[in-house]
Amino acid sequence: MATLIKTHFKLAKTAIKENRTRSFLTCLGIAIGVASIILILSLMGSISNLVKSEVDEIGSDLIVVRPSSTKDSVTSIVEELTSSSSFQKSNLALSDISAISSIEDVSAVAPIAISVNTVASEKNTFSSVPILGTTSSFVAIEPLALKYGAFINDDNKGNSVVLGHTLSLAIFNTINSTVGKTVTIMGEKFIVVGVLDSIDKSINFDNVDFDNALIMDIENLDKITGSTQIQQINIKATNTDSLAKVSSEIKTTLTNQKLGDQNFSVAYGDEITHPASSLFTIISGMLTLVAAISLVVGGIGVMNIMLVSVAERTHEIGIRKAVGASSRNILIQFLFEALILSVLGGIFGLILGYILAFLISIITPFTPYISWCIVLLTFLTTLVVGIIFGVYPAIKAASKNPIDSLKHYR
Amino acid sequence: MSENILIELRGLTKRYGYGDTESFAIKDFDLTIKRGEFIMIMGPSGCGKTTLLNIIGLLDRATRGEYILNGENVASISARRQSRLRAKKIGFVFQNFNLIEDLPILENVALPLIYSGHSKTARLKNASSALKRFHLQEREYYFPYQLSGGQQQRVAIARAIVNDPEIILADEPTGNLDSRSSHIVMEELKAIHEEGNTIIMVTHNPALTVYATRVINMLDGQIDTDVKTVADANLPQPISVKIKKKSSTPTESSTVKEQKPKKHKKNRRKH
Repeated sequence: MATLIKTHFKLAKTAIKENRTRSFLTCLGIAIGVASIILILSLMGSISNLVKSEVDEIGSDLIVVRPSSTKDSVTSIVEELTSSSSFQKSNLALSDISAISSIEDVSAVAPIAISVNTVASEKNTFSSVPILGTTSSFVAIEPLALKYGAFINDDNKGNSVVLGHTLSLAIFNTINSTVGKTVTIMGEKFIVVGVLDSIDKSINFDNVDFDNALIMDIENLDKITGSTQIQQINIKATNTDSLAKVSSEIKTTLTNQKLGDQNFSVAYGDEITHPASSLFTIISGMLTLVAAISLVVGGIGVMNIMLVSVAERTHEIGIRKAVGASSRNILIQFLFEALILSVLGGIFGLILGYILAFLISIITPFTPYISWCIVLLTFLTTLVVGIIFGVYPAIKAASKNPIDSLKHYR
Repeated sequence: MSENILIELRGLTKRYGYGDTESFAIKDFDLTIKRGEFIMIMGPSGCGKTTLLNIIGLLDRATRGEYILNGENVASISARRQSRLRAKKIGFVFQNFNLIEDLPILENVALPLIYSGHSKTARLKNASSALKRFHLQEREYYFPYQLSGGQQQRVAIARAIVNDPEIILADEPTGNLDSRSSHIVMEELKAIHEEGNTIIMVTHNPALTVYATRVINMLDGQIDTDVKTVADANLPQPISVKIKKKSSTPTESSTVKEQKPKKHKKNRRKH
């Protein structure tokens, strides 16, 4: 059996070599499909790696509570996309914060609420500015470097805001004299107490673009917007060992707080790194779907060329059967050919995909992310594509009548 | 001599079409073939010669009737077992050679060995010695189109015997060859026969019947005449290894044999 497989492998190799151009074009079809999947996967991987490295920087003692819908994710995503607000409906409330902070081994708790509003100075007015509502303990969990001034604290929280680097430039055309100036949001006046250093990390586990954001106390945000949607609660545990215990306690506390309602998720360690935005998930999902379609098109290419190959080699099939090849031998021979075409295309695609990902990484902050998982997945996918699209031509070849086939000439 | 019966056909019938279009390629065909026979089947076109050959070669199935090969009824065995028997017990020689154009002749000859489960080294070794027997060893890596018709047919014969089969079936092996090449090919078949192989050959050329030990004339799917020119007792019997050198000649009629190979060796060199 082993020698037979080796022989079939060699036969397929010869047949592919015989028709170099044709085989190359067929492989290219698969390669393009695989390359686009690899590209998307590697970029997605690089994004979650960015978040992960950030979590590593902050420390491993971080726990994150996020709202989640009881509805299945697709429905909630669609609902979210069609609704006017660009942020997820949350059932986390301010009262949860105090409940969590009373848990043993919790050293700091900071909510993150996001609202989009118009921010005005004497000179400029900017709409659609993301406003991050949090508390002073935010910096105790996640160190935010300040360029000038200080972060909001319990003494000045009533009317102070902190500006992101880019936002400060945009509103006041400067960063160094921004501290002390006044901004107006929904008619309320706030004093700028600090300006963040440039962070240049638009993708992070908080899902906040700090460079463009305005940070204020969550109670102020609640006051001006009327309703606060807490997107996330960051919790710092006193030590790494108690993470599991603390997170389960948070779960119990919140469940009690909400009378058994479990519309939230508690994550720590690597779980935090999952892409924070569901929009991101749906976009990458759709891209993968499109890439998968191109892979199917590539597979149809394989099938087409295999059918041509079977028709061309009818005489050969007749000869092989006459000298003792069983239908199964012929089937395996042609199936191997399709598999090799497909896997070869997969290897091309892998290389092509990484080259593209690398090119994209030059102009974006992404670094292409290579994992054995992706390589293995590609290999298996191409194998499956090869089998699905190779089996029909192979059956067709195997079922040929030897007598008729022998009469058949090219 | 009953144990020497290789093939027994009983009431073999092959029908094409149904009802009004019904026709019989062969009908109620009875035939017993002994080991070591060299049978020529003659007859007009459409009398069922090729159909008979295809059924004996297990490429085709009879509509009804019994086909006993080596004491085993093979008329209704599975396609898979048929192909296994084809690989191990039957060698085909065709009018149009039927070599695979994309493969060098060495691999063409090695083809049946793939399907009888030989390793690559064994395949190439056996194929090489089979080609050597036909003085084609220097052309092992030639492709079929680089050879003359006579040479191609010799490659095809090498392929037919490489597996050491029980029966060699030849369907007008000289039909596409000039008289000189025909002669060489027939001498080769004769040499193979004299080593004890059973050969069944279909031909249109009455001149070739001199090589046969038995001539069957067919008409409308049935036997018209059946003439044996050599007594059963005088048929050459198989020796253990056929592909190897001809030094170990069969016991019977050895005087004739020793002359013949020399003769056609000369012929081949001229060719």
